[in-house]
Amino acid sequence: MGLVARAIEAAGIPTTSLSIVREVTEKTPPPRALYMRFPFGHALGEVGARNQQFDILLRAFELLFEAEEPGTIRDSGLRWKRESYPDPDFERFRRLGPVARKAHAD
Amino acid sequence: MGRLKNQLLARVFTAFPSLAARWGKSLVQHTGEIPWVEPLLPLTKARIALVTTGGVHLASQIPFDMSDSEGDASLREVAIDTPREELRITHDYYDHRDAENDLNLVFPVERLKELLQAGAIGSLHQVGFSIMGHIDGPHLATLQEQTAPLIARKMVAAGVNYALLVPA
Repeated sequence: MGLVARAIEAAGIPTTSLSIVREVTEKTPPPRALYMRFPFGHALGEVGARNQQFDILLRAFELLFEAEEPGTIRDSGLRWKRESYPDPDFERFRRLGPVARKAHAD
Repeated sequence: MGRLKNQLLARVFTAFPSLAARWGKSLVQHTGEIPWVEPLLPLTKARIALVTTGGVHLASQIPFDMSDSEGDASLREVAIDTPREELRITHDYYDHRDAENDLNLVFPVERLKELLQAGAIGSLHQVGFSIMGHIDGPHLATLQEQTAPLIARKMVAAGVNYALLVPA
């Protein structure tokens, strides 16, 4: 999947990727990856867990704007079936956008 | 018989993520520069496109090729408004019983549509891009040189601003 993300980004489109096996993602890092140690076939979490699915999407889009360098793999810290997820806060999504970068010192 | 073996193995790997980690460590390291584009639009103004490696496809499309142990690097384009009963998953290398019950686990179209309705994203590209993971051998070159650039070109042509990629 890293190869596909790279091709899309190379065409000028910023990407954000989910990752469920860190060791696989590290072999072909996409520009930005959000890592959850979830089982195969469960990148968005558990069946019917709408709040969890929105939580992961929020984290993925936050990473889109917050990552500062290519190959970023952010560990979500989420544990499989051991978290509780709040109702989705759409206002947090609506506030997402480009963030001001710290000025680099010369 | 080969497919049954792969499907059983996929269940074992799904149940024991440490096995997946060990498999990951055995993969080839892809070096080279990782491209980077700064996101300049707020999410509320952006057109989002979805990519899955979950082997999702229309019932009317040719399924991914399970007879080749090195995978199938071809692309299926899936309209996001396709009724659930017309969608299939063909991918023997992960346990997709849960994803069959809730396709959002690998293809979160319903959640993205809710984000659109909530005004959290600007628009959704009407076509989801679906491939299968577990691509190896000569098909890696096909993915890198043909399928991935094809997806990218289609996104550019459709005015996509950001892409979300979901593995299986």
